[in-house]
Amino acid sequence: MFETDTGGAQIQLRALTKQFPGQAEPAVDSVDLDIPAGELVAFVGPSGCGKTTTMKMINRLVEPTSGEIRIGGEDVLALPPDELRRHIGYVIQQIGLFPHLTIGENVGLVPKLLGWDRPKAEARTEDLLALVNLEPGEYRDRYPRQLSGGQQQRVGVARALAADPPVMLMDEPFGATDPITREHLQNEFLKLQKDLRKTIIFVTHDFEEAIKLGDRIAVLRNQSHIAQYDTPANILANPADDYVASFIGADATLKRLALMTVDEVPTEGPPDPALPQVETGTSLREALDLMVANGTDRCSSPAGVLSYTALCASIGREEVAAGDR
Amino acid sequence: MSLSEYVASRWDTLSLAAAEHALVVAIAIGIATLAGVGIGLVTHRVPRASNASLAVSAGILTIPSLALLTLLIPITGLGWTSTLVALTAYALLPIIRNTVVGLRGVDRATVEAGRGMGMSRVRVLMKVQLPLAWPLILTGIRVSTQMLIGIAAIAAFVDGPGLGTQIFEGLSRLGSVNSLNATLAGTFGIVIVALLFDLFFSVVRHLTTPRGLRVRN
Ligand SMILES: Nc1ncnc2c1ncn2[C@@H]1O[C@H](COP(=O)(O)OP(=O)(O)OP(=O)(O)O)[C@@H](O)[C@H]1O
Ligand SMILES: [Mg+2]
Repeated sequence: MFETDTGGAQIQLRALTKQFPGQAEPAVDSVDLDIPAGELVAFVGPSGCGKTTTMKMINRLVEPTSGEIRIGGEDVLALPPDELRRHIGYVIQQIGLFPHLTIGENVGLVPKLLGWDRPKAEARTEDLLALVNLEPGEYRDRYPRQLSGGQQQRVGVARALAADPPVMLMDEPFGATDPITREHLQNEFLKLQKDLRKTIIFVTHDFEEAIKLGDRIAVLRNQSHIAQYDTPANILANPADDYVASFIGADATLKRLALMTVDEVPTEGPPDPALPQVETGTSLREALDLMVANGTDRCSSPAGVLSYTALCASIGREEVAAGDR
Repeated sequence: MSLSEYVASRWDTLSLAAAEHALVVAIAIGIATLAGVGIGLVTHRVPRASNASLAVSAGILTIPSLALLTLLIPITGLGWTSTLVALTAYALLPIIRNTVVGLRGVDRATVEAGRGMGMSRVRVLMKVQLPLAWPLILTGIRVSTQMLIGIAAIAAFVDGPGLGTQIFEGLSRLGSVNSLNATLAGTFGIVIVALLFDLFFSVVRHLTTPRGLRVRN
């Protein structure tokens, strides 16, 4: 349906506005946003600021009052809504599984709507359940009421992915899961997204989650006004104002360290087996944690010895580079 | 003659009357279900329309059955037709009401998820809302049926089918031979028909309630 180079399609919002009848102010006021194809944008903002409404305008569950939406260059408001929605994966905030259908039927519904043949749809369902960590043999024939809230949420994600849509709208998809499952899902999802390169809007109340998953973060104020729209590293290094800073919290530097790995820091000398060891790919935050825990100011990676000073310098350099913009 | 002797001697008449009683109720319920569920499906999203249909069907229910049947004689005559029309009209309220309440009661998120996946409004209504509302709709049908079984007895006044004839014949000749037996046989017959319908609905409920709604963790 949409023009795509990667697995995803570009999304453009222009002066997008929604005024609900009988309300003094628009719920979403003139939003302009460009989301490059294949990127995941995290929406972060307080409750009631218009995140869900903005998303629902993109799949036209809410008809915009004014403005323009383009996906892959196509004018969304000119497309037939039902057809459009079959090509946009939607994970609804309240999960919304069909209680009278099995988990397998829930996941296989959009492929069925799109007229896939049975074996293909069934194979797809199995893959997706496995992907969200639900053993297909055990869960396919169960009903939603027989699953925990977190498990239902994962089915909701699988269902949205089912027809391999280029665009995904995910409204707090991992909100109901415990921290461990959540981290697992985030990691799986990141891996998946690396291959699929879908264009994703991902709403979260958890700024850490936004940093971890987002190629970019849109920090929203009331009425979906965009306070800042940038990469996680840039937002952490240079929050646009106090409002954005309040989302980041007091440990902005630690969060930045979490985004960088030991491989990005220049090392001194050859690896030293006497020092605490970190593997390649370890985040700087974990490296720092290890140093503090061992009471040393150095640790050793396969590339060489990593010092506390070098670690600080790497953050400092980032800051200067970002400040030049 | 004792009641059992009476029943044995009139078995043919009685069993035919009972069968007709059940049949007229079943036909009326069938028509009322199609009409009532249809009206519910069409009007449930428009409060004004559904309230109007509920008000009309509630209004019908306040007309005494004897009066309604009498009013129907000039239009549909004596016998089956008038009985069917009256019974169908009485059955509508519980069915429309439960259909509207059931369809409206489906979790908004479930409906929205369906729409968000690209299911048309009609498809969501028929494939999601209707199955989820079905247990409540069936309860409405069941209530209507029980009500009609009682009302159908009164159809005897317009020469309608059913066990009412036994009861009213007996009552009109009270004191004469077998009059009490006739009334009792008719009344027990109605109770048995009612029990059989209820059994039928228990089975239907079990067979037609989606499994996903019956399961518990
Ligand atoms: N259907 C509707 N009719 C009227 N007002 C609505 C409707 N949907 C949302 N609103 C209003 O629009 C505003 C934005 O709501 P929205 O659901 O988009 O917020 P949100 O950012 O998703 O919040 P949350 O984080 O709590 O999910 C709120 O003030 C809400 O009351
Ligand atoms: Mg929301």
